[in-house]
Amino acid sequence: MKHFKIFIWKEFLHIWRDKKTLLIIILLPIIEVLLFGFVLTSEINHVSLGIYDQDNSDWSGELTRSFENSRYFDLIRLYNEQDVEKALRGNRVKAVLKIKPEAEKSLQMGESGIMQLLLDASDPNIARTIEVYIMNMSSRFMKQAGNRKNLLDVQQLMYYNPDLKSVFKSVPGLMAVVLMLICAMMTSVSLAREKETGTMDVLLISPLKPGQIIIGKMVPYIAISFVNILMIIALSVFVFGVPVRGSLVLLFLFSGFYVVCALSFGLLVSTLVNTQQIAMMISLAGLMLPTTLLSGLIYPIRNMPRWLQMLSGVFPARWFVETLGHVMLKDSPVYYFLQPLGYILLITVILLLLAARRFKVRYD
Amino acid sequence: MAEKIIETVNLTKRFGDFTAVDAISFEVNKGEIFGFLGANGAGKTTAMKMLCGLLLPTSGQATVAGYDVYRQSEKIKLNIGYMSQKFSLFSDLTVWENIEFYAGIYRMPRQAIITRGEKLLQDLELASQKRRLIGALPLGIRQKLAFSIAIIHEPRLVFLDEPTGGVDPITRRRFWEMIYNATERGITVFVTTHYMDEAEYCDRISMMVDGKIKGLDTPANLKLQFKEKSMFDVFLQLAREKSHEAL
Repeated sequence: MKHFKIFIWKEFLHIWRDKKTLLIIILLPIIEVLLFGFVLTSEINHVSLGIYDQDNSDWSGELTRSFENSRYFDLIRLYNEQDVEKALRGNRVKAVLKIKPEAEKSLQMGESGIMQLLLDASDPNIARTIEVYIMNMSSRFMKQAGNRKNLLDVQQLMYYNPDLKSVFKSVPGLMAVVLMLICAMMTSVSLAREKETGTMDVLLISPLKPGQIIIGKMVPYIAISFVNILMIIALSVFVFGVPVRGSLVLLFLFSGFYVVCALSFGLLVSTLVNTQQIAMMISLAGLMLPTTLLSGLIYPIRNMPRWLQMLSGVFPARWFVETLGHVMLKDSPVYYFLQPLGYILLITVILLLLAARRFKVRYD
Repeated sequence: MAEKIIETVNLTKRFGDFTAVDAISFEVNKGEIFGFLGANGAGKTTAMKMLCGLLLPTSGQATVAGYDVYRQSEKIKLNIGYMSQKFSLFSDLTVWENIEFYAGIYRMPRQAIITRGEKLLQDLELASQKRRLIGALPLGIRQKLAFSIAIIHEPRLVFLDEPTGGVDPITRRRFWEMIYNATERGITVFVTTHYMDEAEYCDRISMMVDGKIKGLDTPANLKLQFKEKSMFDVFLQLAREKSHEAL
């Protein structure tokens, strides 16, 4: 075992000497989490909302004030249809809530359809979010006002993420992307470098077994991955208040499975190429793009065409995001994890079999 | 009779329809410098990889250091050293880290690594460069260091794959002095090269053409046999034969 340990030590030295790369793989997760948490957010704060109150009753005044007091909205009062039109067109407001004349009376008589919501849907995601906020606030208002009748036919309850913070969704996706990047790209590049410099032959001729060479290459990146996982979780919990409702042990266990899967990708890539550059190209274009786009991090998987949905299943990121969602946000019972976890294991086994086959073809 | 360190009988390697190594049979005696010559693509590297336990032969027999290449490649690996032109140590590791790494993967005990490592550095006059990165050293020094490290575990046999490629003539001289020193310590040297002047330094030479051994003897005897004045002419004659066959 001593000769295996010294091999792993050598791998750590390689990483340590390459300070630039080390800095990138340590800082990248931090930057990404901050970026997704602060910038690429679809949650709303101080959205300008126009209110066109045609009723001017006590009731409508109270409703307006409840919006005024909310930190989500900055209220702009509008007084006629032209105002409404101009405000929306001129980007002064993102949405307009129209309260119809005689709304209070109609309400008391049990009629529905007393309000109208106009949304600027040029950014559909934001529009959709604003809609949900307004509906929530109005129904809360109706309840407080002691009105039994619902303003809206549908009552919405936001489970697990009541404020619809997008960082809740991004954290699992980011972990998927970052771990894929570090594990798959770095191992494939590191193995390709040994081939490029001719050190691979030296290693294979030495008493080290091929399996030891491969595992030795993986160990340092597994260690770095767990450092990254810890950093991402710490940032999301302490800076963005993302909850970890399920068990941390499970979270690390699943991350471990995913890391091994990503490493197998890197291993397969390295058996296909001879140079570091091509290894990097394949990892970036062939793995990073699909991982980012198809994992549900940016675009919801349900909105994709059927064939893309099926394609996304080939990449482990999708299943990892799903399991993480269960653990972090929902604390679901274990049997919910089994299916996505099963897929991750299946993908890992297939990748390892393919890689072993390629490795044999090359060196045997 | 000298002790045999390598023995092959009809050793063959095919890749699909292509026969890279075609039924070669030869022996290497303990303690000699055995030159393995041939043009690029003649099958030298393939033959060497089979002997190192890196490739399985298609057919034929071979033993290296008394171990069978089919079944005992793990044993073979512990008894050989290897160095190639392409490889000159890990450039992002220091001199001493490279020494520790090689000695370590060949399972040398800690104390032996330190004593032999220090001795090696003194012999090469590199003791002051111990903590420098390999990448900062000139190629010639790297090659000499690579050779010393390749035999730090005192293997019974060392394979050198075009070890002096790209190195200046003076360093090549020094390099061959080091090879002679190694044989004095009882290490057998198996060397491939395409420098014909280097071929003259070998005890015996095998000339490979198209996967077959076309000549195997001492340099002096080969020159007699092919009626040529230098190894270079012997090589040219063999190469011409090949091109005539092709026509």
